[in-house]
Amino acid sequence: MLIPHPLLGLRDAQEFTYLGDAALLNRPDGMAEGAAEAFNDYVYLRDNPAGVHRELWFHEQGDRSWLIVTRNTVTHEILGAELARDVALAAKGGAQ
Amino acid sequence: MTRLSGGLIDRSQTLRFTFDGKSYTGHPGDTLASALLANDVRLMGRSFKYHRPRGVFTAGSEEPNALVELRTGARQEPNTRATMAELFDGLSANSQNRVGSLNFDLLAVNDLASPFFAAGFYYKTFMWPRAFWEKLYEPMIRRAAGLGSLSMQADPDAYDKGFLHCDLLVIGGGAAGLAAALTAARSGAQVILADEDFRLGGRLLSESHSLNDAPATDWIAALEAEFASLPNLRVMRRTTVFGTFDHGIYGAVERVSDHLAAPFAAVRQTLWRITAKRAILAAGATERHIPFANNDRPGIMLAGAMRSYANRFAASPADRVAIFTNNDDGHRTALDLAAKGVEIAGVIDSRAGVRALGQYPVFAGAMVSDAKGRLGLTRLQVTRDGQSHWLDCGALGIAGGWNPNVHLASHHRGRPVWDETLLSFVPGQDGPPVMSVAGAAAGKGSTHAALTSGAEAALAALSELGRTATLPDLPRAEDAPINQQAFWHVPGKGRAWVDFQNDVTVKDIKLAHQENMRPVEHLKRWTTLGMATDQGKTANVTALAVMAELTGKSIPETGTTIFRPPYTGVALSVLGGGDTGKHFRPTRLTPTHDWAKAQGAVFVEVGQWMRAQYFPRAGETTWRETVDREVLATRAGVGLCDVTTLGKVDVQGADAGEFLNRLYANAMASLKVGMVRYGLMLREDGHAYDDGTCARLAEDHYVVTTTTAQAGPVYRHMEYARQCLWPELDVQLISTTDAWAQISVAGPNARALLERIVDGFDLSNTAFPFMACTELTVCKGLRARLFRISFSGELAYEIAVPARYGNALMAQMIEVGADLGATPYGTEALGVLRIEKGHAAGNELNGQTTAQMLGMGKMVSTKKDAIGAVMSRREGLSAERRILVGLMPVDASQPVVAGSHLFAPDAEQKTETDLGWITSACFSPHVGSGIGLGFLADGTARIGQEIIAANPLQGQSVRLRVVSPHFVDPEGGRLRD
Amino acid sequence: MTDLSPITALGGAVPRSVSFGALSLSENTGLALASLSLRRGASQPVPMGLQLPGPGGWTAGNGVAAFWTGPGQWMLEGEGRAEESFARELKSRAPDCSVTEQTDGFVAIEIASAAGPEPIRALMRKLVNIDAAGFGPGCATRTGLEHMTVFVIRRAEDRLAIIGMRSLAGSLWHALAQAAARLEGEPA
Repeated sequence: MLIPHPLLGLRDAQEFTYLGDAALLNRPDGMAEGAAEAFNDYVYLRDNPAGVHRELWFHEQGDRSWLIVTRNTVTHEILGAELARDVALAAKGGAQ
Repeated sequence: MTRLSGGLIDRSQTLRFTFDGKSYTGHPGDTLASALLANDVRLMGRSFKYHRPRGVFTAGSEEPNALVELRTGARQEPNTRATMAELFDGLSANSQNRVGSLNFDLLAVNDLASPFFAAGFYYKTFMWPRAFWEKLYEPMIRRAAGLGSLSMQADPDAYDKGFLHCDLLVIGGGAAGLAAALTAARSGAQVILADEDFRLGGRLLSESHSLNDAPATDWIAALEAEFASLPNLRVMRRTTVFGTFDHGIYGAVERVSDHLAAPFAAVRQTLWRITAKRAILAAGATERHIPFANNDRPGIMLAGAMRSYANRFAASPADRVAIFTNNDDGHRTALDLAAKGVEIAGVIDSRAGVRALGQYPVFAGAMVSDAKGRLGLTRLQVTRDGQSHWLDCGALGIAGGWNPNVHLASHHRGRPVWDETLLSFVPGQDGPPVMSVAGAAAGKGSTHAALTSGAEAALAALSELGRTATLPDLPRAEDAPINQQAFWHVPGKGRAWVDFQNDVTVKDIKLAHQENMRPVEHLKRWTTLGMATDQGKTANVTALAVMAELTGKSIPETGTTIFRPPYTGVALSVLGGGDTGKHFRPTRLTPTHDWAKAQGAVFVEVGQWMRAQYFPRAGETTWRETVDREVLATRAGVGLCDVTTLGKVDVQGADAGEFLNRLYANAMASLKVGMVRYGLMLREDGHAYDDGTCARLAEDHYVVTTTTAQAGPVYRHMEYARQCLWPELDVQLISTTDAWAQISVAGPNARALLERIVDGFDLSNTAFPFMACTELTVCKGLRARLFRISFSGELAYEIAVPARYGNALMAQMIEVGADLGATPYGTEALGVLRIEKGHAAGNELNGQTTAQMLGMGKMVSTKKDAIGAVMSRREGLSAERRILVGLMPVDASQPVVAGSHLFAPDAEQKTETDLGWITSACFSPHVGSGIGLGFLADGTARIGQEIIAANPLQGQSVRLRVVSPHFVDPEGGRLRD
Repeated sequence: MTDLSPITALGGAVPRSVSFGALSLSENTGLALASLSLRRGASQPVPMGLQLPGPGGWTAGNGVAAFWTGPGQWMLEGEGRAEESFARELKSRAPDCSVTEQTDGFVAIEIASAAGPEPIRALMRKLVNIDAAGFGPGCATRTGLEHMTVFVIRRAEDRLAIIGMRSLAGSLWHALAQAAARLEGEPA
């Protein structure tokens, strides 16, 4: 497979390490009310779609960026890749 | 006389070779198969199951029959297709799958017993009695039904791998592939042309057609000259593209020196990983046969193969041959062979009313219904309108139409579709999006259509890449249809083979039908059709047609098969890549490796690292003796150990402390500059992940360590936390594991030793207390870092210097510390020292344990959020009662065995009464007996009590006493002094 | 100056070098390395007068060089300055950045061709899954090489540097030397 790295272009998937569902970015606040419940869902409940999936890949033999790769798990078609850091920052309201 | 005139062989050179010990000669340009035919050898092997005598059936990589053992000694290579083995001087080959000689195979008795070996036979017969399977049936079957044998020696040759990138990969160097490569290469695109043959041209080499009224080889020669002048085109002969993978990645094997006599100057084969923006599959087509009774006699082959042997290799399997066809293509073989002086006994054509295209007898509306000649064809039975007669001939060419080689287009589950006009499966629209198919592989089998479709496919592919190209002037070529009739097999009672390699007959397919194994997937598995090394290239479609006839459905309704990589067999050696033995995987060496080697250290592999395990001295006879000495020397004087392998991560930034606070279960932001703190990392699910130390060198600068084993994963985890979880924090990470040689200096004399190497640094307990750290210089100006941390329970430090000085620093410290008892120790003593001190390591941090079990439950701060903190408090984990304890045998002579499970002395030993297990054990020279660490339910309350360690695997049951895990200095006074 | 004697990453007292046909390999023990990372909100510095390259790039000038290693991260190279406090000097020139000493973290192997770019490209084809045709002078990347992670830098048409982890120096040297030797032995 080839992963379209947003900064480096197409790179062979062998350079990457796979983690899984990009929903991991939405880590609950451990100090908040109901944290136990929230963490149970966060740690154990994952979607495993046959189809388009957003997932985390680490460019280990590369620039050490975590990427969010949008991939169709049925066809292996890759629809895009973003720097996870950018996505996480945007989700936090663009805070820097 | 079976060597013909002409052909593409070099008669100026004679090559000598042997087959089954007998000597023959051939010429450059020959394959083993063609050279054998030219020497009048038709019998080349025995079949898989029935041991039927077999001859060569094809002239290419689809060969099911002529599999031989090539070469001798360690280079002996089983199951080599004689059709693909390029002849070289001194080649030696042997037939395989026989007991006795090829002419008289003792296991041919299987053929007589064939009624018992029908489809599903193994499944039904060898079920009972069960015990017989392993001892009797399986060895017997393996002996009888086998392919070639292995040399049982290590492969002496080198293999290699490599990576290629291109705009366009053209797979196949026949008419379509050549036209595609020419078109693309002229446009300036980066092009790779790969062909499995040793000579470019594909079927053009096998046909007598002219191109522009000249021999096809003239056009090919001109093309090759132009190719050589194009630096953007890489022509790869002897290269099989064997698999299509995601996103335009292809696997290919180049047989670099298989065609040379050993020993090889360079590598034998190279595995190429080709990344191509676009690909054109121009893999041609494989002819199919028409099953009839005893159609596996040596001398019976595909008509197109017969033409290849005659035109390209100047060889004929016999002086008098016949053709069995359902289309015009069979007549071409008759014409070409007749032109070479071979007598044509007749063309048996299933189509009524057809006429000869030359001077040869035609039996129109007829079929071949039987064949005689056990070791070589002698006679054919020709049947027309229920009347039969026998026809004498030494070989038969069968022309049953052509199956496009769709394999590489269906490796991604692309399903071929049935073309009723062509009577064959052609690639569908659901193949890989970056691949197009041209020429005979796309059902465009005439030379004209192949050339045109190849060039046009290249134009289209280049245009998708935004390149413009122009259609080259293509040569004038034949464009005749083959007028095929749908005639799939000859009805009859005798055994008619469909899949030669796996000995599957029409009867077997009928049996599968009868037993309701009708879907094509069931048919394959029940009969083993298409499951041999040739993947049924000459069998699958014919079998489908037979099944379709039985079910009364159409062929497309019956199904189709798709293919998996590899297209043809790939040697494991080449998949294994370039290196074997020591260099099979990379090895990491510590900075003191050379020094340790000079001391005679014994090394141990720890992941990729080679670490000194122990340093035996003269007179020491066992490893234990050495390790005991190293441990005692450390506790009595000072021991030195290279601990560079621990992962080191440099953490900087304004929020470095906050970042580490969230990463470690315990607080790190509150750590004072110049101090070190032990840190425990949890996984988000609340289990212990890794441990190490955090040293704060400045407000905004920490150096953290990880365990050796987890250095990579922990760094990845830290980057994950930094980039994905808390990108708002100002923190920067970089690994520095290899940059610093780090040496542990442990023992009561540690301070005294270090005082001799530091450049005037005050090491007193007040100036540099336990858990202090600093940057300093040693050995007259060498920059260094010093950490006062202890893994052994002794007064201990870890000193780090730039890696290049590690070797010299170790030597220096041993030298200047001689009077202090400075002793190097290895990983074994390191392990003993930490077990004696009760420090958790990999055995305890195995991913299944919690902070609480490790006795560190209170370390998990409730005042802050950290990875794993919330989940560590859930009921299932917080109610965990097992905790780390120390264990000693009641009888000091008894061993403590890691992995043993712990039970109350009087309890029945079963899962329900299991109280825990031993994680680490060693002999402690300090205690004077075996000791262990383990997790024990209510362990703290059981201290002082006895417990049973059960090791049922070895029938061991040892009485142990539960003690504190700190066998050495439980108050910790030593490390604080 | 310290009284300890350093050894090279390959364990020698002097750097190792070897030639195979047009290709020569040499251990570059004089190369100082220091990583530089931007802190939050920091603007990109011009350390030691060097314009830092963008993703996938390598630049040289004023006696130093730099290659991009990740977003906001570079590795600075100081030729012949391995024994100096290169990281400290860099930090003083880029005080708003995180700087980490890396000289001893790596082994640098410089590869030169005496026959133009083709031997360099041929070697790359055997070692790394990077398209040599698109990897001209000024390109640098981290990738895998025989299960090791390395930086590959195209310093010039006829020069390539491979920088790998110091502890893997022996395996890396073996991989490079073997590939170069095999290229020399390839049938014409």
